[in-house]
Amino acid sequence: MTLNKSNLVASLSKTLPPKPRSPVPVWLALTLALLWMIVYDLELSFETLAYGLADMGEYFSRYGKPDFTDLSRYVHLMGITLATALWGTVFALVVAFFLAPLASRNFTPNMVVYRIARELLNFMRAMPDLLLALIFVTALGLGPLPGALALGVHTAGFLGKFFAESLERVDKGVCEGVASTGANFAQMVMYAGWPSILREALGNVLYILDRNVRMASVLGLVGAGGIGLALHDTLRLFEYGQSAALILVILATILLIDYASAWLRKRLD
Amino acid sequence: MTIVSTWRWPTPSGRLPLPLVGSVLALLLTLWLTAPIVEVDFVRLFASGGKMLAFAGQMFVTPDWAYVPQLLAKMLETMEMTVLATAIAVVISIPLGVLAARNATPHVVVYRLSRDLLSLMRALPELVWALVFVSAVGLGPLPGVMALAFVTVGFMGKFFAESIEVVDHKAVEGVRAHGAGWLQVRLFAMLPQALPDFVGTVMYILDHNLRAAAILGLVGAGGIGYDLVMSMRLFQYERLLLIALAIYLVVTALDRASDSFRRRILNGRKQ
Amino acid sequence: MSDISIQAVTKRFPNGFEALKGIHVAIKPGSFTIILGPSGAGKSTLLRLMNGLETPTSGSVRIGGEVVNGRQLRRIRSKVAMVFQQFNLIDRLSVVTNVLTGRLAHRSWVGSVFYLFRNEDMGIAQEALSRVALTDKAWNRADKLSGGQQQRVGIARALAQRPKIILADEPVASLDPVSSEEIMTLLRDICDRDGITVVVNLHQVELARRFADRIIGMNSGKIVFDGSPEQMTQTALHTIYQREGIENDNSLDMALAYA
Repeated sequence: MTLNKSNLVASLSKTLPPKPRSPVPVWLALTLALLWMIVYDLELSFETLAYGLADMGEYFSRYGKPDFTDLSRYVHLMGITLATALWGTVFALVVAFFLAPLASRNFTPNMVVYRIARELLNFMRAMPDLLLALIFVTALGLGPLPGALALGVHTAGFLGKFFAESLERVDKGVCEGVASTGANFAQMVMYAGWPSILREALGNVLYILDRNVRMASVLGLVGAGGIGLALHDTLRLFEYGQSAALILVILATILLIDYASAWLRKRLD
Repeated sequence: MTIVSTWRWPTPSGRLPLPLVGSVLALLLTLWLTAPIVEVDFVRLFASGGKMLAFAGQMFVTPDWAYVPQLLAKMLETMEMTVLATAIAVVISIPLGVLAARNATPHVVVYRLSRDLLSLMRALPELVWALVFVSAVGLGPLPGVMALAFVTVGFMGKFFAESIEVVDHKAVEGVRAHGAGWLQVRLFAMLPQALPDFVGTVMYILDHNLRAAAILGLVGAGGIGYDLVMSMRLFQYERLLLIALAIYLVVTALDRASDSFRRRILNGRKQ
Repeated sequence: MSDISIQAVTKRFPNGFEALKGIHVAIKPGSFTIILGPSGAGKSTLLRLMNGLETPTSGSVRIGGEVVNGRQLRRIRSKVAMVFQQFNLIDRLSVVTNVLTGRLAHRSWVGSVFYLFRNEDMGIAQEALSRVALTDKAWNRADKLSGGQQQRVGIARALAQRPKIILADEPVASLDPVSSEEIMTLLRDICDRDGITVVVNLHQVELARRFADRIIGMNSGKIVFDGSPEQMTQTALHTIYQREGIENDNSLDMALAYA
């Protein structure tokens, strides 16, 4: 209703309309019910957990004396893991660089290409890297290469999606500015696209590199090289000292990469 | 008369800036040096292309339909693990996130300790923790849920803390000026502002955890992972095809759902 | 190739809003035309039809006899430059690179994708920059300049295209009066000295009076005035700016149409 001098006083004395019912309690109750059903279905007993937690104190103490006698071998394995992650990330970057503009609604040359590119990226993301690693190991044999390839294909999907979403958020005006000069697809992408999202894109790449180092450490479990296999073996043989040492090596490396990428990110601002 | 024009870059010197050239060369050098370590062999890659196609061809066999009930049960288990672990992590991450946020923490020391704790929690991949927890509590979904929840707290705690750190401090001061207590300030001024980011983070984490949960079975920590690896090792392609398809469908479905949910929530709040 | 011909054009947006209702306009080469009118009148839509950023629902838009669409679009755009209200520069790139984007359609594109330009292009860019008096800011990042300076970069980019036509969509709406003056003077000078056809959208009446050869007044998607500044009397102004009962709905639809 419009406010004017005649109804101003009248509007002040009206009471508030009834408060709308909040949906929050309903959703909360439903969620709790769902969680309870899950606990029941998974046959998780708090008993096992309680006993497990009590045992875990004793269990974790077994890791208390890390055994570093094989340290040089561990570091070598970690080096392989890091290199695998690097190659995987670079591969992902190259693939995403070409696919992302095609998968962005505002840059893509036509909608068919857009759909195909989007689906391709989704497919690459959906396959767990472990599954891809298994497939590549079958085709290429054991070693770090199938691991790198698996990481590359899987994270290409993620990177491509991140890039495409960033590209779609580019200011419409900037795109029109370049388009109005008569630029073609490639020029639009290189001038209005990548420069506008550079900071986000670099952040994404660093995040994916970080993630790939973590994944590379475990891919060894399926024979794709690196430190994961060593850890699997030592745990299976209940060699807690060596397992502890391996875990510490992995931990140290990942923390180092974390610091390095945080530093890099700060410098790029 | 034709004049040969030369090319140049749009910089005062006409050449590319040194830091850019330097970093690219450094990267290429690193790649070249590590190539033998990673056993990168383009010849081998192209040669194996045929092998991979043959392998893919082998996958197109009649699916093992009898396996479907077990597949569904395992997929359900995987999804349940995901939801439960994420829910547990949310409950723990909210208070931890408050402690790890510079503007919400009770003391600088608490802030530092929380940040370091979260950093350690997310340092190792879920699978490593799953290995450890299986050793500790035995096989089954329990160690899987524990491992997932543990690592998720590490990530969610960090994301939550960062969301809290960017809330509008003027709104917080407003609530504080009215005499709100320590808990009330956080509950009524900080958390509501950080809520949209929280929701987005949880959606993303759910997505990530589903993929992680699908793998944990590899080490006996529940879910479809075990069947996945076994079917590969035993060359049971009739099952592998179904498993891969199931994973792809569920992951994609969650992806679409979380995208549209995110759009609805974010658009609703924009007004 | 620099005359603009708009015939029987209507433009209806997907949400139903009719921005242009049966427009006929012919703009002569080398002229300086200002389109005047309140917000939501359809000025932007009309201008954006001329370089293909909008397409007509019915009717035709021709530049130099060629219809503005499809295959010729990029070629036509290379000869029709646009200056925007929000400048639309690429923030993190240098002023020079922004101006050089004006040359993108003129050269074989392989080099430009790698940010490589020929010396002649650099020369043209430098010429354009000195024309707008910004040579000293050449290597600065585009977003580190003031509003007026950024708009001048926008004009330099337009000049670098060596265009036959320059379209300016509310070029001074985001600027202070002094900068507005500078920009309008610059545009007028470009038209007079280089013989480039210039079409400018404005809502400031005074600027229109002082700078235009021809004023086209628009209101609610129709042309309600077309003549010289002298012919624009108070009555004419009223016709252009009169608010009808449903004027408020128009602005809302306009905003929605571009959402």
